[in-house]
Amino acid sequence: MNSHFVFKYSVIWESVPILLEGVKLTIWITLFGLLIGFTLGAVAGLAKASRKNYAKRIAGIYIESIRGTPLMVQVLFLYFGLPLATGMRIPPLVAGIIAIGLNSGAYIAEIVRGAIQSIDKGQTEAGRSIGLSRFQTMLFVIWPQAFKRMIPPLGNQFIISLKDTSLLVVIGVGELTRQGQEIIATNFRAFEVWLTVAIIYLVLTMTIAKLLNMFERKMQIV
Amino acid sequence: MIRINNLHKSFGSLEVLKGVDLHITPGEVVVVIGPSGSGKSTLLRCINCLEEITSGTIIVDGFDVTDEKTDLNYVRAETGMVFQLFNLFPHMTVLDNVTLGPIKVRNMPRKEAKKLGMELLEKVGLSDKAMVYPDNLSGGQKQRVAIARSLALKPKSILFDEPTSALDPELIGEVLDVMKRLAHEGMTMVVVTHEMGFAAEVADRVLFMDEGVIMEENTPQAMFDNPKNERTRNFLALV
Repeated sequence: MNSHFVFKYSVIWESVPILLEGVKLTIWITLFGLLIGFTLGAVAGLAKASRKNYAKRIAGIYIESIRGTPLMVQVLFLYFGLPLATGMRIPPLVAGIIAIGLNSGAYIAEIVRGAIQSIDKGQTEAGRSIGLSRFQTMLFVIWPQAFKRMIPPLGNQFIISLKDTSLLVVIGVGELTRQGQEIIATNFRAFEVWLTVAIIYLVLTMTIAKLLNMFERKMQIV
Repeated sequence: MIRINNLHKSFGSLEVLKGVDLHITPGEVVVVIGPSGSGKSTLLRCINCLEEITSGTIIVDGFDVTDEKTDLNYVRAETGMVFQLFNLFPHMTVLDNVTLGPIKVRNMPRKEAKKLGMELLEKVGLSDKAMVYPDNLSGGQKQRVAIARSLALKPKSILFDEPTSALDPELIGEVLDVMKRLAHEGMTMVVVTHEMGFAAEVADRVLFMDEGVIMEENTPQAMFDNPKNERTRNFLALV
């Protein structure tokens, strides 16, 4: 151990208020990103579980291209690359939300597809046999059952996406990681600050896990 | 009521139905027997449009199900189906299982549907289970709910696909009782089953299916006492 190193508690207390500003942004990006992600994922997942070949193919291309490339590259492309071609500059925050949304959407699509396909075929047949249309069968019979099964993996994705927001540091979004970086730029206390940042992430993810656990129990998933 | 002409159905290269002709008149109770893999279930599933047929025609209640203009959802609602594994909706109460069809398909007001649902549950002897979820029912109770669910659409006929095959022996009777009552009330029924006692008691006609065709058909008495076909004889000797 470096004998000159002295742990300074005061650094933690000084940086927490600033870091909390970043936490706010981290949470907002995660929530809005996942809102987009869930919408995209539900549509792409339903398309992949559908019988329509063209829908399957389009959804497949989306899912594969997102899952097959790093989030960092997706963020850089959206923020630095795309404006050069379109001539339209997107604010970093918006680019960040879109990136998290697009990215989580691909993973959520697979969660949705898997959950839908895990529901017994007899359920669809029973629904159709009482005269429900394909759409009604999905809406009233399959989706409610599939949704229950989606909750645990969706919770997992929630946690992953929250941590992924730290990558947005590369386009200068003032979320938690960025705030930490900026504090260190002024006081050089990397050990205390990154430790604090890590603990805050841990508290956030553990809180989500706890909330999900309660929700799952309420939905009676065993 | 149901008229089938030269029905063929293949799954890939496997031909399951090899030319079935069948005419079922209103109020008739037809029992279909035969070894597994003979195409009995597939026949029912074709009548209920759960399988796309390969060739031939099926006319249900005046509607040609192979005609693209036919509203298959409507035809399905007019023909009830009871499955071997019940296929109740596990996320809904027993009453909601029964009222889903009337509310969503027949656009019946919720209150009226509830009343109808309770009447039907009464009829199958399960009015005390209305608010229970299917997981808490025995197999026999589940199947009786499934029958009530299909009755809720006031179908013109009901297809039973081995309704008692998944039940413990002591639970079979309660389901057959409900089916017998339906038969006596004049419901048109096509029943795939291995319950020969049921066939003998309520069937107007028994069909013996094997290798994708109807090998023999007759009244239950003639079929069971004096089967003409060699295969029928062998099959009946085994069950």
